[in-house]
Amino acid sequence: MHRSAVLLTGLLLSPLLLSAQTLFRPLPVTQTHIDFSNTINENEGLNVLAYEYFYNGAGVAVGDFNNDGLDDLFFTANQKPNKLYLNQGGLSFRDISAAAGIEGRTGAWKTGVSLADINGDGLLDIYVCYSGKVDEALRRNQLFINKGNLTFEEQAARYGLDHPGYSTQAAFFDFDRDGDLDCFLLNHNVKKYDNMELARLHKETDELAGNRLLENQNGHFTDISQKAGIFQYPLTFGLGLAVSDINQDGWPDIYVTNDYNEPDYLYLNNGNGTFREDSQHCFRHLAQFSMGIDIADYNNDGLPDVLSLDMLPEDNRRQKLLQLQENYESFELMTQQGLYKQYMRNMLQLNNGDGTFSEIAQLAGVSNTDWSWSPLLADFDNDGYKDLFITNGYLRDYTNKDFLKYWGDYKVRKAMNRESVQLMDLVLAMPSTKLANYIFRNNQDLTFQNKQADWGIQTPTMSNGAVYADLDNDGDLELIVNNINEPASVYQNMSRELHKTSYLRLQLEGKSSSIGAKVTVYAGGLKQYQEVFPVRGYLSCQSQTLHFGLGKATQIDSVLIAWPGRRVQKLTSVPVNQRLVIKEEGGMTPAKLQPVAGLFRKVTSPISLVHQGYNENDFKRQPLMLFMYSQTGPVLAKGDVNHDGLEDVFVSGDQSRAGGIWIQQKNGSFRLLSGLTIGDESMSAISAAVFFDANGDGWDDLYVAKGGYSLFEPNTPSLQDELFLNDGAGRLQKAALPDLSASSKSCVRVCDFDNDGDPDLFVGGRVIPGRYPLAPTSYLLQNNGEGQFKAISVPFSNIGMITDARWEDLDSDGRKDLLLCGEFMPVKVYQNTRDGFLDKTSQYFPSEDQGLWMSLAIGDVDGDGQNDLIAGNFGTNSQIRASVKEPAELYFADFDRNGSIDPFFNFYIQGKSYPFVSRDELNDQMYAMRKKFGFYKDYADATMKNLFTPAELDKTQKLTVTELRSVCYLREKEHFKKQVLPLEAQFSPVTHTLIRDFDGDGKTDLLLFGNKSDNRLKIGSIDAGYGTLLKGSGDGSFRYVRQPDSGLSVTGDVKSVLELSSGAGTLFLIGAFNQPLQCYQKP
Amino acid sequence: MKRLLLLLALTGGTVLARPPKLETHLQPTVFAVTMVMIHDVVNPPAASRFYSYCLLGAHELVSGHSAIPSPAAFVREFHKPELNRTGNYQLAALYCILETGRLILPSGYMLEEEEAKLLAALRKEGYTEKELKAAVVAAEEMAKKVLALAATDEYSRLSTRLRYRPLKGEGYWYPTPPGYMEGIEPHWKTIRPMLIDSCSQFIPRPPVPFSKDTTSAFYALTREVYSEGRNLTEEKRFIASYWDCNPFAINTSGHMSIGFKKISPGGHWMNIASLATAQAGISFDKSVEILSLTAMTLRDAFISCWDEKYRSSRIRPETVINRLIDSRWQPLLQTPPFPEYTSGHSVISTAAAELLTFFFGDRFAFTDNTEVLFELPERRFSSFRAAAAEAAISRLYGGIHYRDAIENGQEQGYRLGQFVVEKLQKNGVRPAR
Repeated sequence: MHRSAVLLTGLLLSPLLLSAQTLFRPLPVTQTHIDFSNTINENEGLNVLAYEYFYNGAGVAVGDFNNDGLDDLFFTANQKPNKLYLNQGGLSFRDISAAAGIEGRTGAWKTGVSLADINGDGLLDIYVCYSGKVDEALRRNQLFINKGNLTFEEQAARYGLDHPGYSTQAAFFDFDRDGDLDCFLLNHNVKKYDNMELARLHKETDELAGNRLLENQNGHFTDISQKAGIFQYPLTFGLGLAVSDINQDGWPDIYVTNDYNEPDYLYLNNGNGTFREDSQHCFRHLAQFSMGIDIADYNNDGLPDVLSLDMLPEDNRRQKLLQLQENYESFELMTQQGLYKQYMRNMLQLNNGDGTFSEIAQLAGVSNTDWSWSPLLADFDNDGYKDLFITNGYLRDYTNKDFLKYWGDYKVRKAMNRESVQLMDLVLAMPSTKLANYIFRNNQDLTFQNKQADWGIQTPTMSNGAVYADLDNDGDLELIVNNINEPASVYQNMSRELHKTSYLRLQLEGKSSSIGAKVTVYAGGLKQYQEVFPVRGYLSCQSQTLHFGLGKATQIDSVLIAWPGRRVQKLTSVPVNQRLVIKEEGGMTPAKLQPVAGLFRKVTSPISLVHQGYNENDFKRQPLMLFMYSQTGPVLAKGDVNHDGLEDVFVSGDQSRAGGIWIQQKNGSFRLLSGLTIGDESMSAISAAVFFDANGDGWDDLYVAKGGYSLFEPNTPSLQDELFLNDGAGRLQKAALPDLSASSKSCVRVCDFDNDGDPDLFVGGRVIPGRYPLAPTSYLLQNNGEGQFKAISVPFSNIGMITDARWEDLDSDGRKDLLLCGEFMPVKVYQNTRDGFLDKTSQYFPSEDQGLWMSLAIGDVDGDGQNDLIAGNFGTNSQIRASVKEPAELYFADFDRNGSIDPFFNFYIQGKSYPFVSRDELNDQMYAMRKKFGFYKDYADATMKNLFTPAELDKTQKLTVTELRSVCYLREKEHFKKQVLPLEAQFSPVTHTLIRDFDGDGKTDLLLFGNKSDNRLKIGSIDAGYGTLLKGSGDGSFRYVRQPDSGLSVTGDVKSVLELSSGAGTLFLIGAFNQPLQCYQKP
Repeated sequence: MKRLLLLLALTGGTVLARPPKLETHLQPTVFAVTMVMIHDVVNPPAASRFYSYCLLGAHELVSGHSAIPSPAAFVREFHKPELNRTGNYQLAALYCILETGRLILPSGYMLEEEEAKLLAALRKEGYTEKELKAAVVAAEEMAKKVLALAATDEYSRLSTRLRYRPLKGEGYWYPTPPGYMEGIEPHWKTIRPMLIDSCSQFIPRPPVPFSKDTTSAFYALTREVYSEGRNLTEEKRFIASYWDCNPFAINTSGHMSIGFKKISPGGHWMNIASLATAQAGISFDKSVEILSLTAMTLRDAFISCWDEKYRSSRIRPETVINRLIDSRWQPLLQTPPFPEYTSGHSVISTAAAELLTFFFGDRFAFTDNTEVLFELPERRFSSFRAAAAEAAISRLYGGIHYRDAIENGQEQGYRLGQFVVEKLQKNGVRPAR
């Protein structure tokens, strides 16, 4: 080998050079001698049309094969021989592949690799998976047993590991904690199912595609999949595998990602040899085309979080060029069949510690990394928080929509010229785009920051498997990446050299194996948690030596090791900056963790109802809206209908029943008031309700407002509100109202605005069905004292798409002023004067934060005697971005003068504002655009200026959004001061807020509810909130209370929250769309 | 020979004999429009609408000659335009086909090149620059009139209407694999027809009602599609493919999708009409009339058919068979993205065949080479009706229609075709020979 002649020269870096140095430094092949490349040969017989996982790449494994303290590297190649590089020190390696006997079969298709000491002789063995459209004999996986002299012997058959299926990768771990390593084998089908009615395939088993759990029985691996509850459907498209004790019960759990429509599986270990698939309980939605996965605690709360990858591009151009999910019928089929909500973007599932997860990849800034393979959460800058490296790239952009639509023309042209069409013509016609891998720094606040430039990861490649490892034993993690058609990348980490950071490397030597050990390191005020499960990322296997970055810490307070066999070992006062080898010793068994009692306790709802709403699709009516408006229920309201001193509850109807009033009984139970139905949800949709004494007879009357969208027409009875007057005997009878049917309504707020002694009403207009985003009509209804109302002229009758309102006497003149909020508008203030209402918005809210406001709540949060305002907004956990500097904008007009409003939403992506609408949606809305944007590439960079002429744009109306965060507006003397609520409050839209001192510490706290799932598919379901308790510190600032401590686990889009006094104390009744009524009690 | 003529033209001097007939340009000109529609993946009903306008101007230009009545006499809302009628009306008619296509088709710009090519060819054939210029002016003027008519046919308001939302209930259409595309043109019935009175003038008898009962008539129909599909002879397989006419069949492999393109059913019949006029040696003027009336008939047949499709919104065999009989069954042809009843190909082929039979007689044998571009051979038919009958039954072989949708669709098309023929006869349109 000519390379062996090259002498290594130790690289001496001058301090001057260091200062300009990026964190990572690519090492040349001349230094590393790692000349491996996963070279793909395509030809007429062997290509992506024959085997669709042709460009999925191969893996890397890192481990110390000769126990010399230096991690060695093993690469799989799809078609070429495997390579084993022995670490010589000084970041120089020697290729020993041929002599070692690990090169694998020729003419076969190799995939993932994992390392484990399978036979317990203290030497790492290698397990290589095979797949591809080749003969079964060529597909049998191989196990290379380490003979101790850097040679290996293939013994898969002997161990029962020569599986002939279509394998992706295996993970070895002790699932039953009996002291030996078992095996989970991840497989995939090689035939995609285009038919989406797949649930029936869940009755079938596919021997070659189905995953397997193999139990180690005295050195032989026996298939126990069926018994253990492992799915083996033909729909298995397993691309990612990670093992972790996700629920922290001491038993290793398994996460399996699935490509295409089959959802991912989370197998929770029952501890009795079986697993239960629990993903739909834990997660609210999943990545659709899930690929690689990592499970690690990235926010240092001691709980493993889950990151799975998909293929949504970051830049506008590729988002517009490549196929995205926009098909509502497909999505409906998917959800109807229990395939769950799946979206095409990376998913970061934050572990809430109570069995639920909050998906916050978009909020964290890591959701869009293009066609991505390997996520690796590890501390690259040694600051004590795990950062994130993501490989990406695909040899051919075959989801390019121009290719889909217009390659056929090429074929026709060829035919016209009487030329034959070759398969390879098609393959080669697919564009190829190399991309830089992504690297993100952990901001230590749940979010990440892109560091591609600063950290020197910018070379465009097509990258798949990857590992991190401290190859030079200097205390920071190098990155090693397997690339297609290009030498593997090796990046030297300069963290130690540049920043003098501290670290700890831990090599665990368990009595049986270290795999499955869990380590918590306490240092520098941080608690860091890691698990020894080396299979993570994609097709790859990490080092079993754990690496902890320790920032500026000079000493480690303690290290806690939970060995797989259950024993716990504790080390204290451990010096930093060392490679520590720990042998399993006696230790203690851990005390069983007592579940902490939360502040709130979930109780059975005294009104037992499951809401069954109409699932309409509002986008069939106005295809360019962002959200739907049909889902308004369930609406709850309380009042004492029968005057017995007990609070009764109105619950709006759904498709199975009409709305009604539930009368509270003396024993705290509720009974439906017979003979009265309120509203008919098949004709209309109740969107708000309030009990109040309209006619001053001392008995509660009921007002219900009508909302909704899909099939309702403005100015028809569907949108006419209804008033029910109490006859003084607990019976409600419909009374007259003026015509209030101009639009859908959102809220009703009672106030005697004219101080004449009777209650008047503000009724907020939400949207005009079919005419979004024109401002709907809001009403101020003046009461004549008899319960007869008159709509009076007010300046806020067509002010915007109102979502909520509050009456509050802001200027202390004894007349309550009106606060309003809504979509695409600021929180507005109308001062109530004797001469009418005056817009005082700019005085009270000088910054006029244009938001997608969802709710308002009033209370004194800082104890200064003045009421403050909590304004619930859309949150920052979506694709939509908006700020003052980069506002989101909604342009609208009937551009093509055909009678329909064409709304175009724009927001900034990478510094430029683009229309959100896809080319197909645009061309479908405005036929003239078909001439402008014949090709997807023509539209891919288009902005509003390319869509419309200056004259056309002049005639449009424009709404903006500059603030998406939910905030606290603190009342100062003359105005409100904005204080942004903690990040956890930004996980999802906030539709309801309760302001109260919930924990009894004398300081006002906040309880937020929300979520919103009825959005465009490109936005998807925003559902990361489970009821968010924010503990007040008395000065208007708040701190998030973890879910196990709050005790809240509210699911669904919360439409109503009722604080209810009952015999059992205060109950919190929560109505969410298509969910059972949920109820919490504060003991 | 051509070269010699060209040489003579260049050397000038002698006046050339008038080049033979313009009708040789007719088929390629209409096909140029077809190619743009293939590129744009125009759906079948929309394609018929485009054809009708592309030919209408030409039709009007040749009217008054060769005893051809003006379409203004019988085309709904089309009023005889006041035009400067000097110059060579045939050149103008030919050019008007491309010019209308250029203005009305999404990628109409692609026809600029065809226009230039046509003018160059005509120049070579000896037409003077002055003649050609006059023809272009006349064609442009006429095309604008046609566009004005097109602007009022409700097409532009389609995007303001409710998109198709699958009806709730078992027997209703739901999008089909692999693309699960949204229902195409749910409001096509609102498009103004040209010859018939209204979209609902030829409502077919209702479909056999959906039933899961294995003894039901519906189940029997379903089983027929299934067993036909499983026992296809080579000939039936060929017939199904021959009449596939799917403008955009999506082929998937993993994450990859490619659209395979074919001529639309209407495009296929437009080409048959072109070929027939050429084979029969029909004059230019008469050929234009025949093509234009074929386009109008196709347009109206699609409107009638689409009216029924979204009235009955019937489920496709693929969906039923997958749910009830065989979860892995796939039809030979890709199921098109709209409801099943009635079969569009059956309605429009039968209607077109009735019109062409009126012009050419029932024993007009012809050779169809339309599908050669799509890797299928030429096919010989004994008559238009025989071709239409084969197109209709091909949908059963292809696994995308039940028999009643085909037979009742044929009846619907026949009634429509007969109505059209009677109406045209009344207005003085005469057979071709």
